[in-house]
Amino acid sequence: MHTISSWLGHWIAPTSALLLKYNKMSVLVNTDSAIIVPVYNEEQVICSVVESLHKQFKYVVCVDDGSKDGSAYEIKKTKAYLIEHPINMGQGAALQTGIEFASQLPVDYFVTFDADGQHRIEDVQAMLNKIKTDEYDIVLGSRFLGKAIGMRKSKEIILKLAIRFSNATSGIKLTDTHNGLRVFNRHVAETMQITMPDMAHASEILEIIATQNYRYTEVPVTIEYTDYSRAKGQTLINAVNIGFDTLLRKVTK
Amino acid sequence: MIIIIQIVVIVLAGVIAAVTLGNRSTHSGKAWKKIALVLLAISMIIAVIFPEVTNTVAHFVGVGRGADLLLYATVVAFILYALNNYLHQQDQRDALYRLARKVAIIDANERYDVREK
Repeated sequence: MHTISSWLGHWIAPTSALLLKYNKMSVLVNTDSAIIVPVYNEEQVICSVVESLHKQFKYVVCVDDGSKDGSAYEIKKTKAYLIEHPINMGQGAALQTGIEFASQLPVDYFVTFDADGQHRIEDVQAMLNKIKTDEYDIVLGSRFLGKAIGMRKSKEIILKLAIRFSNATSGIKLTDTHNGLRVFNRHVAETMQITMPDMAHASEILEIIATQNYRYTEVPVTIEYTDYSRAKGQTLINAVNIGFDTLLRKVTK
Repeated sequence: MIIIIQIVVIVLAGVIAAVTLGNRSTHSGKAWKKIALVLLAISMIIAVIFPEVTNTVAHFVGVGRGADLLLYATVVAFILYALNNYLHQQDQRDALYRLARKVAIIDANERYDVREK
């Protein structure tokens, strides 16, 4: 049997901790959104990325996709939730795991955010404002409506080709189809089932948007490429894998 | 005459691909695959016992030699096998990944009290 004081204490403690945080930093900490960060071999940057997210968001969910480096150890230093894949399964699989875990949290909105630090937190806030005021189901970031700082010409060509391919196969038209920054509501989180484990998930998500008739829009975002994020980028030859799997999925379903 | 074999091979390959890949996991799909396998075995036995038969069939559909016809059949069968195998592998991978996801989430739920709603 709980006494009333311990019962009260149980509820007041987290609230006051939050207020303390609020006073110290004088920024409102967002508690109605969960940030989902798929992580694979990001030990150099993950700690600072998660900590900067934590300044503005209470719920940060990191999915370590079987990293071979110290990513999990770095995440444990922070207050983020850490979900560990026992084996490496790919970014799409990590996102699905993150979405399923985050659905258990008391939040209304879900954000997918790349771990390499190329996204801006201001953009997340703008996208959250958009989804809250204009009643969209899902808001997608677009670097081609916004800015892509330090993007190599070769990367731009690959992306433009990917956009054409995706627009032709997915059933919806966008200006940026492979942007890791997405904001969506609980309806989307509970109905979206990403089955493509690797990078083909980006096209698959758009197909799901089309078939489920989610209300969607794009918001301009800034992506800042660093030497670090450039080194981790996708190669042209991998586009062959993605294209093959995407077309085969269409044939066999 | 040469046009017959082309139409036959292409149409047959398309139909077989659509039927086997589309009904991959159903009982009838699996059954058809077994029937096809048995038919293939029977026709191989016939081809070995009566080699002239392949030549006759080849001439009938417009292919020069029976050996060429066998080669075409082998290529079609191999491509189907490879595709079927690839898809089967992907199904198994999906099952493995769903299992791994479940394990990861159960493990995380033990560490965090997420039912604070």
